Amino acid sequence: MDEKDLRTIIEQVLSEMNVSGSAAPAVEAACAKACEAPANIEDGCIPDITEVDIRKQYLVENPEHGEEYAELKMNAPCRLGIGKAGARYKTLPQLEFRAAHSAAQDAVFNDVDEEFVKSQGLFIVQTQCDSKDTYLTRPDLGRKLSPEAVATIKEKCKKNPTVQIYVADGLSSASVAANIPDLLPAIMQGLQNYKIDVGTPFFVKFGRVAVMDEISELTGAEVTCTLIGERPGLITAESMSAYIAYKATVGMPEARRTVVSNIHRNGTIPAEAGAHIADIIKIMLEKKASGTDLKL
Amino acid sequence: MREELLSVGIDLGTSTTQLVFSRLFIENMAGSYSVPRMEITGKEIQYKSHIYFTPLMDQNTIDFPKIRQIVEREYERAGVKKEEIDTGAVIITGETARKENAREVVNALSGFAGDFVVATAGPDLESVIAGKGAGTDVYSRENRRMAVNIDIGGGTSNLAAFWQGDTVDTGCLDVGGRLIRVDRDTGKVTYIAPKLLRIIEGEGFSIRLGGPFSVEGVRPLLRILVRALEQSVGLRRDCKYYELLITNHGLSPQVLGSRADKPAPSCATGAGGGEERWEPPASGTPSHTKAEWGNGEERWEPVSCVSFSGGVAAVLYHPEDYPDPLQFGDMGILLAREIRSSRLFRELRVIESAETIRATVVGAGSHTTEISGSTITYANAEFPLKNLPVLKLAREEEQPGRLAGALERKLRWFWTEGQPVRLAVALEGEANPTFVRVQEYAKELLTGLAPNLRAGLPTLVVVAQDMAKALGQTLLSMAGSGGALVCLDGIRLSEGDYIDIGRPAAGGSVLPVVVKTLVFQK
Repeated sequence: MDEKDLRTIIEQVLSEMNVSGSAAPAVEAACAKACEAPANIEDGCIPDITEVDIRKQYLVENPEHGEEYAELKMNAPCRLGIGKAGARYKTLPQLEFRAAHSAAQDAVFNDVDEEFVKSQGLFIVQTQCDSKDTYLTRPDLGRKLSPEAVATIKEKCKKNPTVQIYVADGLSSASVAANIPDLLPAIMQGLQNYKIDVGTPFFVKFGRVAVMDEISELTGAEVTCTLIGERPGLITAESMSAYIAYKATVGMPEARRTVVSNIHRNGTIPAEAGAHIADIIKIMLEKKASGTDLKL
Repeated sequence: MREELLSVGIDLGTSTTQLVFSRLFIENMAGSYSVPRMEITGKEIQYKSHIYFTPLMDQNTIDFPKIRQIVEREYERAGVKKEEIDTGAVIITGETARKENAREVVNALSGFAGDFVVATAGPDLESVIAGKGAGTDVYSRENRRMAVNIDIGGGTSNLAAFWQGDTVDTGCLDVGGRLIRVDRDTGKVTYIAPKLLRIIEGEGFSIRLGGPFSVEGVRPLLRILVRALEQSVGLRRDCKYYELLITNHGLSPQVLGSRADKPAPSCATGAGGGEERWEPPASGTPSHTKAEWGNGEERWEPVSCVSFSGGVAAVLYHPEDYPDPLQFGDMGILLAREIRSSRLFRELRVIESAETIRATVVGAGSHTTEISGSTITYANAEFPLKNLPVLKLAREEEQPGRLAGALERKLRWFWTEGQPVRLAVALEGEANPTFVRVQEYAKELLTGLAPNLRAGLPTLVVVAQDMAKALGQTLLSMAGSGGALVCLDGIRLSEGDYIDIGRPAAGGSVLPVVVKTLVFQK
C-alpha cells in the first residue's frame, strides 16, 4: 500500500467519523506518522492453528482424570475436553473452530484447479450447472451432463468397459486435490492385478453422485465408480467418498449404490482405500450386484 | 455380523497340566459405509479341564503318550473336535520346559491339538501369558498403575510388569511350590531342587534329601525365597541369593526404579531358527533389544500393585481352605503362608486375580491370538504359517534408498547353512503414505528379498501402520502374481519375535496372528 492509498483511507475514516473541515492537517499528520514509523517486521511465526491435532488437544485445567480423558480422546477427533473461559470457548478452540469452518466453506466454493485435474491424466466435462451457485441451488442439474459433456464422453471414452471410473468435485474441491493422486492409481493398480478392464477416467465439474447413472448408460460400463468430494464438516474438509454401482441406470433406487466414505488422511488413507475399492469392484463383478443387494 | 473363533489353551507346567477352550468374538466395529475394522470384541471361556499332575516317565522325560491321552479325553469331554479348533497355544512352562523331550512334546502336541495351535515356551512368554490370564494387564490399564503379576507355579515364579495395560517387562525366578517334595506317609523329603541345595549348604540348614521334613526347619529357607520375591518387585535389594534364584533375568531397573545398581541381564531370544519348529530360547544369549529402550525412562511409577497366580496363589488368596500344610506333599502351602506375611502383602496393593492356578492356561487359550488389520493382502499362501522368525527393520532403515540394502544385509543373519529361510519382514510403515511412497516400499522390499524370492520362499510382510492392502497389491503388481504373498498390518513386531499366521477369518478379511514376543518396549 502506498502513501496515496493510505491517505485515501485515513480521509475516508475521518470523514466517516464526522470530523469537520479542519480534517486536512489531521490527515497529513496521521499519514506522515504512519509513513515514518519504521516497518517493524518480526522474525517470529504465528503458529498454524490448523496444524493442531484435536485428538491430542486437551485443555481442561486441573482435571480430575486428565490422563484418562486424553487417552479416550485419541479414539476420535471431537471437540471435547477443550476447557472453557467462563461460559465460552477458550480463544484457541474458538479460532480453530472458525478455521475449520473457513476450510469447509473454501472446499465448497472453490473450483478444482484445472491444471491439477489435467496433471492426473483426466479430461474435464461439466454437468448442466453453469456456476457454483447453480450447482448449489439446483441439485437436479448437477445430476445431468451438458450436451457437450455427452459428446466429449462419447468421443473420448472407451466403449463398454468393465469398469468406468470418474472423479467429481461434489461438495469439496479440496478433497479432489488431497486424495486423487493416491486414490486413483491405487484403484487402477488393484484392478489391473485382477486383470479387470478399466475405461477412460475423466473429471466431472459440478457433479453430484447420481450423474453416474447417466455416465453408466453412456459408456455401457458394467460397474461405474465415482470418486466424489464429500460435504465438508468441521473435522476435515478433505473427505472423499466412492460410490460404486453395478449396471447403474437413470432413476434407479439410491439403495443400489455401494459407498466407501471417509477417505482422507485421518480417516481411511487414500492409498489403502483405493486398494480396498478395487477388491469391492471385483466382488461386485462376481456377484453382479451392488448396494444393499450386495453383502460384503 | 459377529464371528467366533474357537481357541484352545494347553499348559504343561512343572506340576500340572491343564486345558481350556475359549471363544473369541470378532466384529466389525466400523460403520457400514466405511472400510471394515474387525476387532476381537469378547472372550469367553467355554470349558475348563480337570487339573492333572504333569505325567513324567522319569525326572528328565515327559510322558507324551499320557499327555496325549489327557488331551484326547478332555476334547471328548468338551465335545470338541480337532478340526473345529481355529486357534490357540500350547505352552510348556517352568521345570517341564527343561526336560529333555520338552521341545518334541510341545511341537507334537500343538500339531495334535489343532492346525493352528501354536507351540510356545520360554519364561518371558509364560510370564506375559500368565499375567494376562490373571487379568493384571486389565487392572493396570483401568487403574493406570504399574502392576506386577507373579505366577508362582511348582518350579518358577514368573513376573510380568504392566504399565497402564502395556506389558513393559518380564522376569523369572526359580521359586516355586514343589522345589521341596515330601512323602506324606513317611514325612521324609523326597526332592530338593538344585538351587535350593546350594542355599541350604550356604546357610548350613539341616533339611536334606531323605531326611525328615519339619515346618519349622524349612521356614528359614522359605524366608529367603520370599525375600527374593520381595527384591524381584523392588521392595528390597539385600537378598544375597537373588542372583542365584534368577532363572534368566529379573525385572529391569527401569521398572524397579532407577536406584537399582545393576542393569538387568538382557532377555534371551532364539533368533536364527530357520526351521519349522519353535526353538525354546536359550538363556544367556546376548540380546540386541533392550538397549534401544533404556534411555532413562523415568515416567514409569514404581511397582505399586501386585497380583498372584499359579498353584501357590490359589492357597495364597484362600489360606483357610488349606489347613494341612502338606496336603500336596510339597512346600507350596507353607510358601504361600510365608508370602502372606511378607512385605509383598504389607507394602503393595494386592489385587485379586481373575484366575490363579488356571491363569497360564487361560492366557494361552484366550490372550495369545490377535487379529490383523482388516485391509490386507494375501495370495497363494498356504495357511497356517507357523513359527516365522521376524526380521525387523529399524525406522531409519525404512528411508527410501536404504531399505533394500538393510533388508538384504539383515536377511543373511537368518541364513542357515548358507540358505535363505522363510521369515516375516516387519516394518513400521507410514500413517498416510502417498501411492508413490508405497511403490518405493514395494520396490525396495522386492529388491532386498531377492534371495528369498529366488529360493521360492513366500513374501511375508508385516506393517504396523494401516497400509498393507495397498502395499500388498503393489508387491503383487511388481512381482507378478505367481508367488505366495502375505502382507498384513495392525501388528507391531520387534526383533527376536516369532509370528504365526492362521487361516483367514471373518469372511477372509482378517488373519489371526499369534506373536511370540520376547521383548517388551514402549
